[in-house]
Amino acid sequence: MLKKYDRVLLSGCDTCVAECASGGRREVAELAAALQMAFRLAGKEMEIQESSVDRQCVHEFLLDVVEAAQEADAVLSLACGAGVQALAARLPETPVFPALNTLFIGETAERGLWLENCRGCGNCMLGLTGGICPVSRCAKSLMNGPCGGARNGLCEINLAKEIIPEVPCAWLQIYDRLLALGELDRLMELAPPKDWSCGDAAGPRRVLRPDQQA
Amino acid sequence: MSDNLTVVLMACRQAVPDPAVFLGPLEQAGLTARVIAEPCSSKVEVFQMLRTLAAEADLLWVVGCPEPACQLVEGSFRMAKRVGHAQDYLREIGLEPERLGMAQLPAGNQKALDATVDEILARVRKLGDNPARNRASA
Repeated sequence: MLKKYDRVLLSGCDTCVAECASGGRREVAELAAALQMAFRLAGKEMEIQESSVDRQCVHEFLLDVVEAAQEADAVLSLACGAGVQALAARLPETPVFPALNTLFIGETAERGLWLENCRGCGNCMLGLTGGICPVSRCAKSLMNGPCGGARNGLCEINLAKEIIPEVPCAWLQIYDRLLALGELDRLMELAPPKDWSCGDAAGPRRVLRPDQQA
Repeated sequence: MSDNLTVVLMACRQAVPDPAVFLGPLEQAGLTARVIAEPCSSKVEVFQMLRTLAAEADLLWVVGCPEPACQLVEGSFRMAKRVGHAQDYLREIGLEPERLGMAQLPAGNQKALDATVDEILARVRKLGDNPARNRASA
């Protein structure tokens, strides 16, 4: 998609995607050098500029990159999907392309391993489940305990394919956590069917905070 | 093939206290050579390797200590992983990953040093010019 342009600006984001080692200034530098060589091998001398901001999803942080983009034919953003869109909104006359493939809201579990621990589904249950989310961490998103398929503390999806590290049974984790807290009574109340209308079934979601508005 | 091939080494100071041990034989062989001294080979980042290949090197070699001898414990191990990651980039863009090499040299081991120099010379002569290198600034 970038072939037809002569001057491309690579724009990184130094917060979440930097933590994920995928879109910070270091990765911008890697991709810039790699693209420079790739285009050269294809017989094209591409002018590539590098830029990075602290938060590409916040318009106030975009001043530098918007200014740098004035000299570019196109922008390749290494931010998450939200950052790409925020930047595109500030650059109505410049094509903005995503360099990443944003997958989920993740937790850095260990070096080089990120887990989807929040699906942003609304009506958060973490207060009931000991800070462990059954929506994102149970393969079936069950609301009231395990399915019966767990083996040795592990989710049965480990039987279907090799997953390293193995996926634990989230409901066993919830039970163990509440047992350690002495609060197993939290599990005595049945959770009603979840209202998914607050989740991604709701269409474009928004949060409105009048107290934060100008 | 260009008659002036350039080899760049990024070398841990512990493994290569004196850059001349590389510069001498490589320059005698007719190459342009540069040694960048590093406090540890793990300080070499992937973007530095890629930039160096894009800007000036026909061949880049990262030199660290043997893994058990690394003063930063995991330095040589990390360097090897980064070299592998950078080679993945090269493979993806269609440049020979062999243009990026690595060695883990025991400091003061002349035999290992000679073997590395021989390997570098053979590799750069085999690969020749780096087509992804910027010749305009050379």
